[in-house]
Amino acid sequence: MNEGRVEEFTREIAALKTSGAKGDTEKRLLALGSLLMIAGVVLAVIGGVQVAGTTNAADQMAAIATGGLLGLVLAVVGAALFLRYSIGRFMRFWAIRLIHEHRSETDRVIAGK
Amino acid sequence: MITESILELRNVSASYGAIEVLHDVTINVRKGEVVALLGPNGAGKTTTIKVACGLMRPISGSLHIAAQDVTGVPANALARVGVCTIPEGRGIFPNLYVRDNIIMAARDRAGIGIIEERSYARFPILKERRDQLAGTLSGGQQQMLSLARGLATDPVVLMLDEMSMGLAPLVVAELYEQVTAIAESGVSVLVVEQFARTVLGVADSAVVLSHGHVRYVGPADALDDETLSRAYLGS
Ligand SMILES: Nc1ncnc2c1ncn2[C@@H]1O[C@H](COP(=O)(O)OP(=O)(O)OP(=O)(O)O)[C@@H](O)[C@H]1O
Ligand SMILES: [Mg+2]
Repeated sequence: MNEGRVEEFTREIAALKTSGAKGDTEKRLLALGSLLMIAGVVLAVIGGVQVAGTTNAADQMAAIATGGLLGLVLAVVGAALFLRYSIGRFMRFWAIRLIHEHRSETDRVIAGK
Repeated sequence: MITESILELRNVSASYGAIEVLHDVTINVRKGEVVALLGPNGAGKTTTIKVACGLMRPISGSLHIAAQDVTGVPANALARVGVCTIPEGRGIFPNLYVRDNIIMAARDRAGIGIIEERSYARFPILKERRDQLAGTLSGGQQQMLSLARGLATDPVVLMLDEMSMGLAPLVVAELYEQVTAIAESGVSVLVVEQFARTVLGVADSAVVLSHGHVRYVGPADALDDETLSRAYLGS
């Protein structure tokens, strides 16, 4: 063990306590992703209704800016967050499952000898 | 500072459902110390390890690591910073090569060479066998590999559950020699064994559990056969 490893360890343990469970952050980001996607779609729909409701070109431009562009950006960012964190979870479960099956397969092969 | 406490269970009680299997257990492992946790079948040794590594939350009492209360911190978080547990039955990947077993275990981003060296330094035989499938190693070598995997994580706390199970006494002695050396480098070690003699030779102190109660705590060399069998019988 290196010099200073215990001090590093002590700091890391302290950080664990203050940062709390990591799973929670992940769940929160996943929820944030879903919210952003919904907000984006809502903005786009509102923008569309506003554009249809007026013949003034300047008002239509403003509606496109909030509804079309901002809505689109929010939806894309939301979708990225959502995918990142839902797939992360899925991949972890999948890896654990693979390892598990791999092991029971080995056990079966050994037992069948 | 050889006296600082690294791992401490303080008045821990634990249960499976409604059945309480640990009652008011207190264990203290200091820096660089080897503590032997002994007791008959079903005494609660594995359960104690589960609490100590964060897998199981005690119903009362607390877990302290590096003098900080970490009761309720999940096992994966503790493992990531250097609390290493080697469970009963080794936990290696038989279909992977020896070196892949070791590399996979590492927690940090030190180079692969450094990680391998950490492990091979103590077990030269594994270096010779690094390109062999882990499942084709002998029982003793597999146990060495699980220890080597533990070392690859650069642990500060190392917990070993029934390491000697199914191995010849000579092999066990060899393994414990390495455990002693690991502790001398500063790692705090908690070893669980059912049969006392092998481990008492290398442990600094011993705790004997029976029916979930601590029956003995003290220096390992003060634990003579009579005290031991009285503690096992729970009187
Ligand atoms: N998953 C579980 N569910 C319910 N009871 C359990 C479970 N695991 C262990 N127990 C019970 O808890 C008690 C302590 O078990 P534990 O595995 O800690 O004993 P041990 O000292 O490790 O024994 P051994 O030397 O056989 O490994 C036993 O009575 C056992 O039957
Ligand atoms: Mg056990």
